[in-house]
Formats: sequence, structure tokens, C-alpha cells
Amino acid sequence: MKAGLTTSVVLHAAVLGFGLFSLSAPAPLEVADVEALPVDIVPLSEMTQIQEGDKKAPMAEKAAPTPTERPDVVENAEKIGDNDIDTENPPTPDGKPKPVKTAEAAAPAPTPVAKPALEDTPKPKEEPKPVPATELAPVPAPQEEVKPEPVKEPEPKPEPVKQPEPAVKPEPKPEPVKQAEPKPAEQPEETVAAIEPVKPDAIAEAIAEEKPAPAEESVQLPSSAPAPQAKPRPAEAQTAKANERKASEKPVKEASSKPKSDDTGSIEDQINSVLNKDKAKGGGAKRSTQTSALGGEKNKGGKLSRGEEDAFLRQLQNCWSVPAGAENGDSLTAVVAFQVDPGSLKVTGRPQVETSSGNRAFDQSAVRAIMKCSDQGLQLPLGKEDIWSDVAITFDPRGMYF
Amino acid sequence: MENLPLAEPGVQLSVWALFLQAGWVVKLVMIGLLAASIWTWAIVVDKLLAYSRMRRSLNRFEQVFWSGQSLDDLYRTLSERKPTGMGSIFVAAMREWKKSFEKGAKSPIGLQNRIDKAMDLALTREMERLEGQLGFLATIGSAGPFVGLFGTVVGIMTSFQAIAGSKSTNLAVVAPGIAEALLATAIGLLAAIPAVIAYNKLSSDAGKLAVRMEGFADEFSAILSRQIDEKIPQQRAA
Repeated sequence: MKAGLTTSVVLHAAVLGFGLFSLSAPAPLEVADVEALPVDIVPLSEMTQIQEGDKKAPMAEKAAPTPTERPDVVENAEKIGDNDIDTENPPTPDGKPKPVKTAEAAAPAPTPVAKPALEDTPKPKEEPKPVPATELAPVPAPQEEVKPEPVKEPEPKPEPVKQPEPAVKPEPKPEPVKQAEPKPAEQPEETVAAIEPVKPDAIAEAIAEEKPAPAEESVQLPSSAPAPQAKPRPAEAQTAKANERKASEKPVKEASSKPKSDDTGSIEDQINSVLNKDKAKGGGAKRSTQTSALGGEKNKGGKLSRGEEDAFLRQLQNCWSVPAGAENGDSLTAVVAFQVDPGSLKVTGRPQVETSSGNRAFDQSAVRAIMKCSDQGLQLPLGKEDIWSDVAITFDPRGMYF
Repeated sequence: MENLPLAEPGVQLSVWALFLQAGWVVKLVMIGLLAASIWTWAIVVDKLLAYSRMRRSLNRFEQVFWSGQSLDDLYRTLSERKPTGMGSIFVAAMREWKKSFEKGAKSPIGLQNRIDKAMDLALTREMERLEGQLGFLATIGSAGPFVGLFGTVVGIMTSFQAIAGSKSTNLAVVAPGIAEALLATAIGLLAAIPAVIAYNKLSSDAGKLAVRMEGFADEFSAILSRQIDEKIPQQRAA
């Protein structure tokens, strides 16, 4: 036994010793660093159907409308834009139309045909021209409505207006008001005094000629040098009005309404008053933060979900009483088209049989079914009006479908 | 349990390191299995030597026995030293023969019975010596894997407790504990597999030796029976 035990012990010691030195620490497994590829699952419709975006923007992987500037979110907004309220109007580009309008307004100004008659006065008018011109130049800048500064300038203007008023008061109101309006721009009192008498005349004449004037305007525009005379006035008036409006609504109305009612005379004023000088603020209230990319006005090509479609068809089926004799599926099918009013969820007008089954009673039963359901109120999903507002349904005793 | 053997990632994973990191239960199991393995191999070596010695002695005895040498002479030489295998059976039978026959046996049948009994006893003793400790091999062969598995289960249990404590399921945290626990099963299998193989071989070898000895015992019994039949009538006649 001794021999066996010693051999065994020696054997084990040898094996363990060998194991300790040769089997120590297996080489660590080499793992290649492989980066995981992110995989997105994208519905096919996102590729094939028009997505909401910007029609003029370059194409990108994902369509997106032009980014809006306001971060605040309006709930349930559907149109892209910076407005507080959703409107249908498309967004309009920024403020340049205005300078154009003022230019236009300036052009017609020459209307006062009578002015040439008072050719003595034009000279002093010409002198003031540069002044108003310089005034004008700064004015358009504030017209952009962004800066409050212009508002301050106009405000002081009305004050000087009041001062002259008392002097002129004896005269009929319209005159002083006008004087105030056109000249308000820091008029040198002397020139003002000189011009004042002229204007009433011109205005009176203008009033008399009111309607013929526009016709003449176009003719005279090129020829008459005096045109600039008028320019400063309406321009200033406009800017003054615009500024006033911006400053505060009530004063604006008073100021603008008074001159209008009183003056009625100046066509420019009338036109100007009719023209909406506020920057047209189109667009809705839906915000977008992505850079714009090619796309349509809104997502199109959507579908009713299977459940929504089934619910609608089942409702129609319940309303439909198939005429006797047609239940057996004689391959009678009629396609009936109708429009649904998104508001009331009722059919507008009368459903039209697009494809007749050849059986008049059958066609009429389909029309009746739609009208009956329409009275109950159609079960259609909100938010998908563009899909179901105009539909054509195939009536078949074996099963209806869109 | 307080110093849970949670191996930090990147720790050496050599066999010795794994053993040192293991908990005391697992260590105990491993040490026990190692001792069992040593004992198994000791038995295997011992038995292999014993069986080859036995085979040689059987061969020599048969050679001598069938050489035509007088049985009395053979008995005298064998009984002087301690006989093994067939020698011990022969000596036992001859001793019984001499005791009964020389004092004058009354019944040949009774003598035959006594001689057979003596030979059976000698044979059983020899077989016992040959097959002793083979049972230990069988036990290790069947129970070794289970013992190793027990160590593994305990080791994995403690390592999971440690993982729960560390609040990390990183494989680098989980792996060392499991590797160290699996070492117990490995040692169990290492001890059990040779034990099973050795048991099967040694028991079949022992069976062959037993058959040879039984065959000799039967043959010798037949020889003695003939002798009795020949000598008892002579005694009576004398």
C-alpha cells in the first residue's frame, strides 16, 4: 500500500505543479470592438407620401417646414407660423412691401394739379423738400415696426401740431389738422407758416377734383416736377399714423379717424387709410424648430386606420336597408360619392351616384343610407378631415369598402 | 460569509488563484476531492501491483504443481513460508487432509466435506484481499461528481450573493465567481473518472484471478477425492 500511496502523491504533486505553472491565467479572450449600427425602422409612407415641409427649401432626408421664431407652443395648431392663432393665410415675407407702398403713395401724391398754379410757393416747398427727405430716410427704417424709437419721434410731433392749431383755429378744423399731419416733422416754424396757406388751397382743389385726380395722376406723374412737394406730406402722414397706431391703439384710431373724416379730401390719405399698413401676419401657430427642408404644406396621403374605416362602414351598413332581391349578391354594386362637412359631420348637399349599379332602387337605397347616417351624425375621426371630407363608397351587399 | 469572494474584474484566473479566492465550503470540498483523488490513485497503483504479483505467483505455482513433484514435498516447502493465492488454498487443503487422514478418518465423505470447506475459506480470504478497497473506487466514481457539484452550487450561490451586494451584473464581475465555483466540479470529475475506469478494470481482473483459483480448487478437490477413495479401503484392509 505504501508504494501505491507514495506513487499517487508524487503523481498528483507533479500534475498539480505542472497545472499551476502552465495553466495559470488563461489568455484573455480578444474581443474585437465592433460599433453597433443604429437601425431605424421607418414606415414606407414617410418616403412615398408628401410630408409637411417647405416647398422652396432644398431636399433633405426629413421634410421640415421653415423654423418658427417663437418657442411657445399653441395646442392643436395645424399651420406652421409665429401667430398666436391658427390662420389659413400662408406666412408672408417680412416688411419690404411697406417701403413699396409708401413709394406708391408718394407717386400719386402729385395729384394736386392745382399746385403748379401756385408756382410762387413751390420754391419754398422745394427747400423744405430736402428736410422731409432726410426725415423720410429715417422713417422707413422705423417702419419695420421692430424698434420703439420711431414711436417717440412721432409723439413729439403731435404736440407741435397743437401749438399751431390755436393760431389757426379760427379757420375750419380740417385745415389745421392737415397742417399738423404733413409737417409735424420738426418743421421750421417759418416754412410751416409759409406752406400752411398753400396747403389748404391745394387740398380744397384736390377735394374738388377728387375723382378725376387719379386718372390724371398717371399722366402727370412723369411730367410734373412738383410731385415731390406732395411726397413728404403723405409719407410723413403715413409714418405718423403708422407710428401712432403702433404706440397705442386708441390714440391711433382717434388720430387716424379724425383726419379721415375731416379731411376726406386727400385721396392719398383715403387710399392710405384704406390700405392696411400693418405687416400682414400670415401663418398659423404651429411651431417648428427644424431647419426647413423640401416638403408640402402638410402631410398628405394619410389613411384612415383599419378600425376607423370599419367603424364608418359598419355605421353605413346599419343605415342601409338592401332592397329586396339584391341581398343575394347579383353583383350589384354602386359607387356613391359625397362630401362631409368637417364641422357638423354631416353630408353636404346630396350624395352623387358615381357608378350606377343599373338598378335604380339599389342606387337610391345607397343614397338613402348615407342620408340616414348623416342625420345621425357620421362617425369619423377628427383630425383626418382631408381624408374623409370627400369620399366615394362602394355599396355592395357582400361588403362595403372605400 | 462576510468577506465574500467576489473577484474584481481583471484578477488573475490561474487555478491556484481561483482556489484561494473560493469560500471555505468550496475549499473544503476541493481539498476533500483532492485527497480522494490521491487515495484513488494509491489504490489503483497498489492493486495493479498486487494483481500482477498474484498472477505471477499463480503461474509459478501451477508450473510447480503440475511438474509431477510429490504433493507432500510441495506442502512442506510452501508451508514454511507464508503462501499466497493458489498456494494458500493448497496449503489449507493439505493441512486438513493430513489432520484427518493421518489420525485415521472414519468416513471418506466427511473428510471430503471438510477439505472443500477449508479450500473455500482460503479462497474467500484470498478474494477478499484481492478485491478489498475496490469499493472505495466505486464510491468515488459515483459520488465524486456530486460532491464537486455541491461545491459548485455553494460557490455560485455565494458569488451571486456577492454580485447582488455589488449591484452590478457586468460579466466581468459575474465570471470569476462562477469560474472558481466550477473548479470544484472539475476536481470532482478529475477524481471520479479515473476511479470509475480503474474500478471496472480492477474488478474484472480480480474476477479472472478468482476464476483461476476456483478452477484450481475444484481440480485439487477432485484429486484429493480420488486419493481418499484409493487410500481409505487400504487403511481398512490394513
